[in-house]
Amino acid sequence: MKDCCNFSKNIPVEFKVFTQTGDYVLLMLRVFTKPQKARIFWQRLMDEIQGLGIESIGIVAFISAFMGAVVAIQTAYNIDSPFVPLSAVGFTVRQSVILEFSPTVISLILAGKVGSRIASEIGTMRVTEQIDALEIMGVNSANYLIFPKVVALLLINPVLIVLSMWMGILGGWLAMSGFGLVTTTDYVDGIRLDFEAYTIFYSLMKTLFFAFIISTISGFYGYKTNGGALEVGQASTKAVVVSSILIILFNLVLTQLFLT
Amino acid sequence: MIEAKEVDKSFGEHHVLKNISCSFEKGKTNLIIGQSGSGKTVLMKCLVGLYEVDHGRIIYDDRNFSEMDFEQRKNLRQEIGMLFQGGALFDYMTVEENVMFPLNMFTHQTKEEKLDRVNFVLKRVNLENVNRLMPSELSGGMRKRVAIARAISMNPKYLFCDEPNSGLDPQTSGVIDQLINEITKEYGITTIVNTHDMNSVLSIGDNVAFIYNGELWWNGNKNTILHTENKELNEFVFGTELTSRLKR
Ligand SMILES: Nc1ncnc2c1ncn2[C@@H]1O[C@H](COP(=O)(O)OP(=O)(O)O)[C@@H](O)[C@H]1O
Ligand SMILES: [Mg+2]
Repeated sequence: MKDCCNFSKNIPVEFKVFTQTGDYVLLMLRVFTKPQKARIFWQRLMDEIQGLGIESIGIVAFISAFMGAVVAIQTAYNIDSPFVPLSAVGFTVRQSVILEFSPTVISLILAGKVGSRIASEIGTMRVTEQIDALEIMGVNSANYLIFPKVVALLLINPVLIVLSMWMGILGGWLAMSGFGLVTTTDYVDGIRLDFEAYTIFYSLMKTLFFAFIISTISGFYGYKTNGGALEVGQASTKAVVVSSILIILFNLVLTQLFLT
Repeated sequence: MIEAKEVDKSFGEHHVLKNISCSFEKGKTNLIIGQSGSGKTVLMKCLVGLYEVDHGRIIYDDRNFSEMDFEQRKNLRQEIGMLFQGGALFDYMTVEENVMFPLNMFTHQTKEEKLDRVNFVLKRVNLENVNRLMPSELSGGMRKRVAIARAISMNPKYLFCDEPNSGLDPQTSGVIDQLINEITKEYGITTIVNTHDMNSVLSIGDNVAFIYNGELWWNGNKNTILHTENKELNEFVFGTELTSRLKR
């Protein structure tokens, strides 16, 4: 039923954000329903976990390790006061990686990698009439295509973020011991200093929010693609831009909420 | 039988279908013909409910499709098979998975029963030993045949084909046309085919509706179409070199 998502036609640009939000909500109502066949849903979910999650492990590990290393090096070179212990390096790496770098920056990177993939995959299915083919068979295409992706990201992104935290801290340690800037003992002392498990919980909550944003926004832009190959490209760019902006905005809101 | 009654459809300011009423008979190959952009695809998508009509009714054997709710339509759709212009095969699935998809989704058959059915319909469209291929590995004609196989896998009562031979060479087009026609007669399906190909019209047009600028301009069959006085239809029919020689 293409027509259910056509609010935004012939409406002045200023109102677009409202009508698009309306379209988004309407689409989500179709996405979040019970899958028609449980077995097919599981199969789709496994495929998505593979495609959206497992295939992102490499890039997440790589970026996190190098960012951890850079944060450690920056901190180490900026400590020139004898009153600041070298364990501050480990502490700084831990705090920045766990609180912001892993949940927010890695989510932004995933918005680029996974978001564009979701939007272009669904957009291509739209313009090649594969979505129409699903609807004609009596399949709820929004649920069939988007729901497994949402669930997959909600499951796999927290895992990726925890991996990112480990890799960031590991990268910092490798840089410090590799360049002989801070000893392992000092670094580990810093990592352990005043550790609160709550920060991990807070990070994972943010991650879940961001995973929801990435999957549903990208699914939305892909699903309402109209036209041909050019529009698929535009949809995928839009998906990345809008989910990135929403991640940044919600990061501010959630940080305020969780830390007060 | 499928009937369209006083159907209107606009996209914004663009009035695409204007008061179209026509009927499509069971066991016959019903053609909708017209120039590119005349509204054939939109009409077909209105008939199956992919687009909502602005005005008018669509009736499937005395069942008013336009008044059905989502659930009722979903049930009716299981009696519909549709062949899309580009085939619309799911490109991440093999040929076998594509054809089996509706069976997996809507039946409780065993794996063997489903596989039997898949092989039966693939054989019916003259495709064998392609089960493991991906759509990207098929030629245009093969894609269309797989799409036909998928469309008939659930034994539809109604079959819709949007330009089944666009992009195919004349010979392959003929094969696809014959296949659709045979299947229609064999299973008593109500078949509707969109085309702008006069070859198809003359070989399989049991019932022909000519759409001109979104209006139903002429209604007849493959025998009467060569002898009408209708100016626009004549221009369409005798528009190619081959057919204009036929007239002379
Ligand atoms: N989704 C749509 N939005 C706006 N206009 C459309 C849409 N689909 C088709 N049209 C317009 O309707 C007219 C008829 O299109 P169509 O039915 O695809 O023609 P054809 O007879 O070649 O199949 C065209 O002018 C096309 O631009
Ligand atoms: Mg068309």
